[in-house]
Amino acid sequence: MKKIILSLVLFIISFSSMAQKPEFLQTMGETLGQFSTCKNVADFQALGNKFQMIANVENAEWLPLYYQSYCYIIMSFIEQTDAAKKDSYLDVAEKSLTKLIEMAPAEADVFALQALYLTGRLVVNPMERGQEYSGLSGQAVGKALALDASNPRAKLIKLQGDMGAAPYMGLDPKSFCPQAKELLANWDNFKPKSPIHPAWGKDQVEGIVKGCQ
Amino acid sequence: MTQEQGESLPGANVYLQRTYDGTSANENGQFILKTKKTGPFDLHIEFMGYEPAVQKIDLKGDTIRINVQMKEAFNQLTAVTITAGTFEAGDKKQAVTITPLDMVTTAGAKGDVYGALQSLPGTTTNGESGRLFVKGGDSEESQTYIDGSLVYVPYNSTAPNLSTRGRFNPFMFKGTIFSTGGYSAEYGQALSSVLLLNTNDLPAEDQFDLSVMSIGVEVAGTKLWKNGAVTGSVTYNNLAPYMNLTTQNYNWIHAPESAKGAVSVKQKTGKTGMFKLYSSFNKDAFTINQENLEPGGSPFDYHLANNNYFMNASWNGHLSEKWAMNSAASFTNNRDDIRFDQTMIGKKIVGTHVKNVFNYLFTEKFSLKFGGELFAKTFAQNVRMPAETHDNSFSNNTLAGFTEAQIYASSKFVTRIGARVEYSDYLRSFKLSPRLSAAYKVTNNSQFSLAYGWFYQNPVDDYLLYTNQLNQERADHYTFSYQSLVNNRTLRIEIYYKYYKNLVKTNGGEFYLPTSYSNLGSGYAKGLDLFWRDNKTIKNGDYWISYSYLDTKRDYRNFPEEAIPTFASKHNLSVVYKHWLNGLRSLAGVNFKYSSPRVYNNPNSPVFNSEQMLPYKSLDLSWSFLYRKNIIIYGAVTNVFGFKNEFGRRYASNTDAGGNYPSAAIEPSSNRFYVVACFITLTRKGEANQLDKIE
Repeated sequence: MKKIILSLVLFIISFSSMAQKPEFLQTMGETLGQFSTCKNVADFQALGNKFQMIANVENAEWLPLYYQSYCYIIMSFIEQTDAAKKDSYLDVAEKSLTKLIEMAPAEADVFALQALYLTGRLVVNPMERGQEYSGLSGQAVGKALALDASNPRAKLIKLQGDMGAAPYMGLDPKSFCPQAKELLANWDNFKPKSPIHPAWGKDQVEGIVKGCQ
Repeated sequence: MTQEQGESLPGANVYLQRTYDGTSANENGQFILKTKKTGPFDLHIEFMGYEPAVQKIDLKGDTIRINVQMKEAFNQLTAVTITAGTFEAGDKKQAVTITPLDMVTTAGAKGDVYGALQSLPGTTTNGESGRLFVKGGDSEESQTYIDGSLVYVPYNSTAPNLSTRGRFNPFMFKGTIFSTGGYSAEYGQALSSVLLLNTNDLPAEDQFDLSVMSIGVEVAGTKLWKNGAVTGSVTYNNLAPYMNLTTQNYNWIHAPESAKGAVSVKQKTGKTGMFKLYSSFNKDAFTINQENLEPGGSPFDYHLANNNYFMNASWNGHLSEKWAMNSAASFTNNRDDIRFDQTMIGKKIVGTHVKNVFNYLFTEKFSLKFGGELFAKTFAQNVRMPAETHDNSFSNNTLAGFTEAQIYASSKFVTRIGARVEYSDYLRSFKLSPRLSAAYKVTNNSQFSLAYGWFYQNPVDDYLLYTNQLNQERADHYTFSYQSLVNNRTLRIEIYYKYYKNLVKTNGGEFYLPTSYSNLGSGYAKGLDLFWRDNKTIKNGDYWISYSYLDTKRDYRNFPEEAIPTFASKHNLSVVYKHWLNGLRSLAGVNFKYSSPRVYNNPNSPVFNSEQMLPYKSLDLSWSFLYRKNIIIYGAVTNVFGFKNEFGRRYASNTDAGGNYPSAAIEPSSNRFYVVACFITLTRKGEANQLDKIE
C-alpha cells in the first residue's frame, strides 16, 4: 500500500512538473522526432547538441541529458576508423552519465544506457578492454534489471552482449534466438512513463530476430 | 566559427541562453540561427575540447553577423605528455605501448614481467641472467616498484649463470610504467631504470581460479564485500616431471621446486581513496651438479634454498579537491642458503621502504609534487669454508626528500622540473640531484620530448659488506625522443647519452680490506632506440618491432682499463607478432629476437674482454585457445629452430699443468623450453544466474 501511495505521489509530482512546461514537452517531442532523420556522425552530433541545449535550460530534468549521452554513444558506434575520436565521443557521454546517475539514480534506463556506453568503450579495443568492460557492462545491466526487471532496453543490451561474446565462449549466437523472439513479442507490453521517456530498441530486436531466420 | 589557427569547427553547438533556440555549425564552421526573440541575450558557443565562448548580443529583429574564435580547452588527458625514456601503459590510454596482457601473450616472455619487457627497445637480453639490462646499465641499476614501494628482491634466486624470472604474476597488474632513463625526482637509488607496476583495482565478482601448468599448479580465490575484496592464492611449482621429459644441458639432482602463498586485500575508502595490501611467502630450493673446472677437481653439487617474505601496503586518494596523497610501505625479508663443494654461504637481506608523496594542484596547468622516503636495509653474509670463515654485515638508512613542479605553458608544451636530496647514514654522504624534462607537441599526433638528470645509487651490497669508505655512484642522463601516434600506429625514435662516474673499482687487494675499493671508475653509454607498433594494418593482427643500437664502455669493478662490459650487445632486435584467429578462438604469437655477439673475458688472453660470444637468436611460438569464456588453454615453445645459444665461457681460478685456465661453455639450461597450461575461472553468479534475472 505504501508503495502504491509513494508511486502515486511521484507520478503526480512528475506529471505536474511536466505539465507546467508545455514548451519543454513540445521541444523534446520535436527533437526526438529528428532521430529518424539522423544518418551520420555530424547528424547525431547536431541532435546531441540540441539535447544539450535543452538540458542547459531544464537542469532538473534527466531526459535531455539522457538523449544527449545516447547521441554521443551512437556517434562512437558509427565512427568507423578513428579510435581516438570514438573515445572522445564516449568521454562526452561519460560526463553526462555521471550527472545522470546522480540526478536519476532510480531509473533503470539510466543504467541500461551506462551499459551501452561501457559496451562502446569495449568496442574501441576489444582485445585490450574486452575482459574489463564486459564485466563492467554486465554489472550495469544487472543494476538496471534490479531497478526494473521488465526494462526491455536492459534486456536488449544484455542479449547483444551475450551474442557478441558467444563465439568466444564456444556457443552458437543463434542459441539466443528464442530469447530475442520472446523479447520482441513482449516489447510493447512495456509502457514508457511518458511520450518523451526512452522507447528505442524495438527495431534492433527486430534486426536480431531477422538475422535468426 | 574557427579555432585559434583559423581552422573551422564543424558541429559546434550555438544557442541563446535560457531558450530552446539554437543550432549547430555546418561543415565549414558556419551557422545561421533564426529566432523570434528580441532583447539582450547571451549567445553560447560550445564544442568538444574547446572552452565555451559567450557573446553578448542585442536582438532587434534584423540580421546580426558575428565571428567567433574558440580557444582549445586544456585537458591533461589529451595534452602533451613527457615520453622521453618512458613506456607507459594505462587502462584507458590509446598510447598503449605494452600492457599486462602482452606480458602473458608475448611468445618467449614465458609469462614473466621482465621477459616481456625485454621485447622493448633499450633493453639487452642476457640469457644467462634473465634480469633487466637497460641502456648500457648493469642489472643492479634497475629498480622495481609495486604500488609505489620498492621491491628489494624482485627476482627469484638462481645458480650463477642460470636465467631467473620475476617473483610476481603478471596478472596481478593493471598498468606498467617502464622508464629507461630521465625519470622523475620521485625516484632515486637507480642509475638506469625504474619499473613501476600498479596492481589491479577491485575485482568485479567473487571468483575461483585454477591454473594447471606443465611446471606446477596455482589455486586462487577472491571474495568481495562492500567496496572491498580479498584474494588468497597458493602456488606449487616443481620442474622435475618436465625436466625428465626434455633434454637438459645441466645435471639437476633436485629440480627447482617452490611453494608460495599470497594474500591481497583491497578496500575503497571514501570517494577517491584506495587501500591495497599484498603479502607473500615463498620457499624455493634446487640442487644442480656442476662440473669442477679446477685442475684435478671432481664435480660437485650446488644447492640453494631461498625463503622470501614480501609485504607492501599503499593508500592513495584525494585529501581535498586540490590535495592528493600517495602513501606506500614495503617490507622484505629474503634469505639464501647456498652449499657447494665444502663451502656454505648464508645471505640475508632485511629491507624496509616507507614513502609519502603529496601533490597539490594550483591550477589545471600547474601542480607541485613533494614528499619523502626512507630506504632501510641490512645485509648479512656468512661464508664457511674448511680453512676460513667470514661473517660480515652492514646496515644502511637512506633518507630522501624530493619536489617537482609540472607546468603546462599550453596543451602543447609541458616542463617538469625537480630536485632530490639523499643522505646515506652508512656512507655518510649527502647528494643533490636535479631533474628536468619537457615535451612539445608538434601536431595532434606527434611530439618531441627530452629529459635530463643526475642519478645516484649506493654501490652494490657485495662491496658495502667490507667498506663504507665509498661514495654513491652516479649517472647523468640526456634523452631526446620523438613519438608519433596515428590511428593505432606508434612510432618512437629515441637517442640518448649517459655518463657514469664514481663507479666502484677494485684494485686487486684482498676483498675484505676497505683499501681495496675506490670510486675511480667511470663509463659512458650512448645509443638509438626505435619502436614501431601497429595493430591496424593487419586485421586481427598486432605487431611491434624494436631495435636498439648501443655503444658503451666502462671502467669499473675489476676492469684493468675501459672496456665493453659483458652484458652489452651492440644490436638488439625484437619482432613480436600476434594474431587473433576468430574461427579457432585462438591468439597465436610469434616472436623473433636477435642480439649481436657480446664480449667476455678469457684470462688466457692478454687482452681484457676480447672474446666474442655467439649471437643470441630465438624464434618463439605461443598459442592461447579460448575453450570457453572461462577456460583458456595455453601452449608455448621457445627457440623452435633450436638455434645454438651460448653465453661465453667460465674459467677455473687456477691454471692447469700447461699454464692455461681450463674453461667450459655457459649454455642455457635447455635449448628449448615448452609450457602447456590450462587456466580456469569460476564465478559464483555466472552467466546462468544473470539470465535468471531477466526471465
